[in-house]
Amino acid sequence: MKGLTAPDDDRRRRAMEPFVRETFQIFIRYLYRYLGNEVECEDVLEDVYADIWENPDRLQEVDSERQLLRTVYLYYMRKRLREVYRRMNRHLYLSQNDLTNLTAPELGTLDTISQSELKHALGRALGRLKARERRAIELWLEGMSVRAIANELKTTVGAVKMLKFRTILKLKEMMSEYCPEE
Amino acid sequence: MADTNRKIQELLSDYAGSLRDGCLPVFLQSLTRQEGKTMTCSDEFWEAAEVVRVLNGVGFADKAAIADAGLFASRVDANVASRLKKAKSSPRARRTNGTRSMTKTQKTEKPI
Repeated sequence: MKGLTAPDDDRRRRAMEPFVRETFQIFIRYLYRYLGNEVECEDVLEDVYADIWENPDRLQEVDSERQLLRTVYLYYMRKRLREVYRRMNRHLYLSQNDLTNLTAPELGTLDTISQSELKHALGRALGRLKARERRAIELWLEGMSVRAIANELKTTVGAVKMLKFRTILKLKEMMSEYCPEE
Repeated sequence: MADTNRKIQELLSDYAGSLRDGCLPVFLQSLTRQEGKTMTCSDEFWEAAEVVRVLNGVGFADKAAIADAGLFASRVDANVASRLKKAKSSPRARRTNGTRSMTKTQKTEKPI
């Protein structure tokens, strides 16, 4: 973070490289949650870093990884995420508010937690689910389609969708227990 | 996604699928007015959507072909350089450097 908030443009530019190297993996994985597409993630992140270089004031008070992620998301990423789909909205049956909630939402309890903490919490929560619920989520995480999961669990597509929905709500409740707000 | 009146669990499943496959615009375009309203009114949908995003990050971000940080840093540097160049050549920047253009009154003033 040294030099990143310096008033001199060139000094800030020199400070960007170590900052990018240090934070790239954290930020791109975080963005992946919202976009699910590597190419778009890189395009958005490039602009996010350039915005940080241009206006780094928000990072002055940051003193932990969690705080950094929260600040960068709220003040730099969110604006860019909104822009990704803003132009599309003329053709959508969705209010601007709902579009924002889907593509660049407010931070929930789970959104500010680091990847490793989340993995740990998810592992614990999955362990508490019923066998069938856990299997449905595991198969989903392996990349299987709903139809393939239905075949595997010997049930209908509709039943799998309902099972997934109920299980995800259960997971939300369990994971919130493991990840209290800061 | 051909069904035109999906229930909330179907909407969530399609949202999760589109996010996993990196094609969120396809899902957004598939929504009907009625489905949009269904989503708006359902708190459960928004709660579940938060977990879907977390699952997307935890389950699939590691498998994605993410670029090398060093290469990406040079891309960022190029973006910064272009912004720096733009800022230096923009009229606003020139004005702050002291090269202020003459105002109308200055132009019309006759020398004494």
